[in-house]
Amino acid sequence: MTETLLWVLPLVPTVTALLMLTTRDRRILSAIDVCGSAILLALTLVLAREVAKGGPRALGVLRIDDLGLVFLLLLVVLTLAVSIYTVGWLKQAVAVGNMKAESLRSYFALVHLFVATMVVTVLADNLGVLWIAMEGTTITSAVLIGYHGHQHGLEAAWKYIIVTTIGISFGLFGTVLVSAAAAAHGAVGADAMSWSAIMKIAPMLNPGIVRIGFIFVMVGYGTKAGLAPMHLWLPDAHSQAPTPVSALLSGVLIKCAILGIIRFQTIAAAACGPAFPAEVLLVFGLTSVVVATPFILAQNDLKRLLGYHSVEHVGIVALGLGFGGTIGTYGALLHVVNHGVTKALAFFAAGKAIARYGTRDMRVIRGLLAVAPIGATLLMLAALSLAGVPPFSIFVSELMILRAGIGQGHWVAIAIFLAMVVVIFAGLLHHVGAMVFGEPTATASREPEAWSPLLGMMLLAAIMILLGLTIPASIDGLFRRATEIVVG
Amino acid sequence: MSAETVRTIIDDLGALLLFTMILILAAGQIYRAIYAVAAQSLLIAIAAAVLATATGNTDLWVIAGITLTVKTIVLPWVLHRVVRRMNVRREVEPVIPVAATLALAVMVVVMSFHLSATLGPVNQAITGNALPVGIALTLLGVLVMATGKTALNQMVGLFASENGIFFTAMAVTQGMPLIIEIGVILDVILAVLVMAIMVLRVRSTVDADIAGLDRLKG
Repeated sequence: MTETLLWVLPLVPTVTALLMLTTRDRRILSAIDVCGSAILLALTLVLAREVAKGGPRALGVLRIDDLGLVFLLLLVVLTLAVSIYTVGWLKQAVAVGNMKAESLRSYFALVHLFVATMVVTVLADNLGVLWIAMEGTTITSAVLIGYHGHQHGLEAAWKYIIVTTIGISFGLFGTVLVSAAAAAHGAVGADAMSWSAIMKIAPMLNPGIVRIGFIFVMVGYGTKAGLAPMHLWLPDAHSQAPTPVSALLSGVLIKCAILGIIRFQTIAAAACGPAFPAEVLLVFGLTSVVVATPFILAQNDLKRLLGYHSVEHVGIVALGLGFGGTIGTYGALLHVVNHGVTKALAFFAAGKAIARYGTRDMRVIRGLLAVAPIGATLLMLAALSLAGVPPFSIFVSELMILRAGIGQGHWVAIAIFLAMVVVIFAGLLHHVGAMVFGEPTATASREPEAWSPLLGMMLLAAIMILLGLTIPASIDGLFRRATEIVVG
Repeated sequence: MSAETVRTIIDDLGALLLFTMILILAAGQIYRAIYAVAAQSLLIAIAAAVLATATGNTDLWVIAGITLTVKTIVLPWVLHRVVRRMNVRREVEPVIPVAATLALAVMVVVMSFHLSATLGPVNQAITGNALPVGIALTLLGVLVMATGKTALNQMVGLFASENGIFFTAMAVTQGMPLIIEIGVILDVILAVLVMAIMVLRVRSTVDADIAGLDRLKG
């Protein structure tokens, strides 16, 4: 029964996408959207309970373990929040002509196909299927990024599809190399590409080939994850995509790529010792944190600011995985969830502010608190959390990653990391503080705030604050078991 | 066929693949690059057929057939149509001179062979020189994308990269499972279609090459 659920999960968004094609009415489309996402969430919770009781389940090329479950839960919760947010966002976007009323159904269908491909990346046990689904996410999301159809959107979409496609073809090469190493040790057919089968023989694999394979995969999936210096597509794509899509890209998609990296990290750690993948992750992590900083400080475009911020936070996740150990890995996984939730919230709040002022230029957005008090408060909360202020959730995971680094004696990395986090803290609060407080710009729209975007945002804000104050026992158990899978 | 014959054939095909790659790198006109990449895909299809006869693996026959129809005929035809619709006749100015590109290419090839020479045990799991040739093709494909300024150049580079991966993958003992290969090819087709639509859309709205747009900065 539970095994069947593995195949039902990706089918839910696929069927939702097909249902979208049957109507053109915006209200019905939104209703299908929310229902589809809610069903996906409900089924995932059922699956989570079964896995907590009976351990990992597998059927064919799909498999769910606690590690995958962390990412799956993030994915489905954000998908539901995005659906709720979209109801009100879309009404406004259609009214001002940002979205064309007649092509809405293809937008919704694409969003759900995008979600379906992400569900498969999370559930994939076969590394080939993981790659196929990852490329699938590129194709569906590239169309969504260029959805507005104007020149800038298409430019961003082109850069995105070219950079990530070439990037993950490196990932495919790495996958082929790792499966060649497994085939040399008697893994037959599909087993040579199955993560769980490779893990059984991983300590015996030839370290030389796995090392090269891991570097290829790191460059490949690192491109998709937005790690510097392969992050070039990310700020463009995040800033040009429609806001709900930006939230999915930043909140979930780059995290799916991180999961791909973790899968290969465990293989590489078993074959060549944990020090090698850790070093590679540390180098990419530190580069990302350092590269993102100047762009965050000098940014005028609100959505680009958040995009560069994702580069920084993906770097922090890589640092956590690189520091390793139980604390570092736990911290990194927690950071994946915390950043996903917080960044989606930030994009939602930013999207509403942008719609109100009609521009993404942060120098024009002033006095948001006076025209939209609830939205402004949520934006401020998200910014405080992103900057790493206690008691919000990101503070907790960053602290864990720091502690892991200190425990391992990576002093140089810790020093650079801390310096950058402090600078970004000041930069981000300066930007957001100026937008929220002060006299409102004359052009700002003063219409009342719509309920559905606020509901979607409050859902995420509640999770963000809850995970900052306390981690419930069931979630803690999930993270502990997931950490064990990575650390071994 | 004896293992030795297969090895020789694969090595010869590898040399030809590298030759087509040089043609792509040196091609002044986009038409020539498209023909060269089609020829390259044909060589990949032949390699799959050779390995299929040698190993008796029927999956490889299917892969040979798909490569022949999709990568040698359909995708070059799509590219060709895009070129015609875009109506570009003028030669493309390369970002760096062709001589420098070729020198760089030679370095990449030497490096790839050197790299895989250090991987003794694994080379036994892969027929002939398929590993270094595959690595070289993948990296050179990236070089084509980096040096070409037009969207079509970038698409050709992408194909060449994918060809390199396929060549290595099929030479690995037993190859990738068929279903995975089909999935990968399906992804490539979809990606190319989406790219072609984007290229034409930009062409029709602002009369510019999509790869030439550079308004997003900072």
